[in-house]
Amino acid sequence: MQLPTPGALLIALLLVSLVLIAIVVFRPAITNSREGKILAFLAFLILPVLCMAWGASEHIDRSKQTQFCLSCHVMEPYGKSLYVDDPGYVPAAHYQNHRIPVEEACYTCHTDYALYGSLRAKMEGLQHIYVQYLGTIPKKITLFKPYNNRECLHCHLGARSFESNPVHQAIMDSIKSNQMSCITSGCHDTVHNVASQDHVKFWSPVQ
Amino acid sequence: MNTQSTGIQPSLRVPGTLLILGLAIELISLLWNKPLAFILFAFAGGAFLVAGILLYLYSLVSAHG
Repeated sequence: MQLPTPGALLIALLLVSLVLIAIVVFRPAITNSREGKILAFLAFLILPVLCMAWGASEHIDRSKQTQFCLSCHVMEPYGKSLYVDDPGYVPAAHYQNHRIPVEEACYTCHTDYALYGSLRAKMEGLQHIYVQYLGTIPKKITLFKPYNNRECLHCHLGARSFESNPVHQAIMDSIKSNQMSCITSGCHDTVHNVASQDHVKFWSPVQ
Repeated sequence: MNTQSTGIQPSLRVPGTLLILGLAIELISLLWNKPLAFILFAFAGGAFLVAGILLYLYSLVSAHG
């Protein structure tokens, strides 16, 4: 038997809360009894607070999904870049070979971005939504700040293939301190490259 | 049954309505997988819920004050 998802449980909790609140609103006389007061306290305070906290957690979890990021039209070329048929494209090679979870592909390599990171990152995420719906989307999309090597190192650091590479060994301190960027220092600089998408082949998954 | 014995019942209608609106908005936001759903959840749903909870707490305090 398959267990219900957290999202389904939350929806069930919301519905139960709605019913309990409606009972108290339409039958206020039940709050004359001690049990009724406890029910009102549960329905008017405990359950709404629980729903808010759980709902916030659920929304933040959902925002980690690749599908969520690509739901904005402007992100479509970035989603398409994950299917470039060229192993030199870093995101495509990671995505197609499942080196990163495909359901959370964007989040895995952009953990400090938009809603996922610090309070500042969350504010920047809200700025994205503002620009998407009310502002003017720039022609060239750039990161708020230079790409942090930490996003690569949280998987690669400690991995044999990474650490035994003589080039990496020679510049390890510079990599760790972000003095030398993994993606803009001429080493792994073919990333999404959405501007050149007209000239590349794309891989089509069998399923 | 005396429905006026505690004095808090009529004042439950407004917080209850706000909470129902807030929870309904949260429910809709969860069924909608778009970035705008988070804004709907956090600002519209959250505002109704916080207002409803505060009014409920106020009704408790004023009833026993």
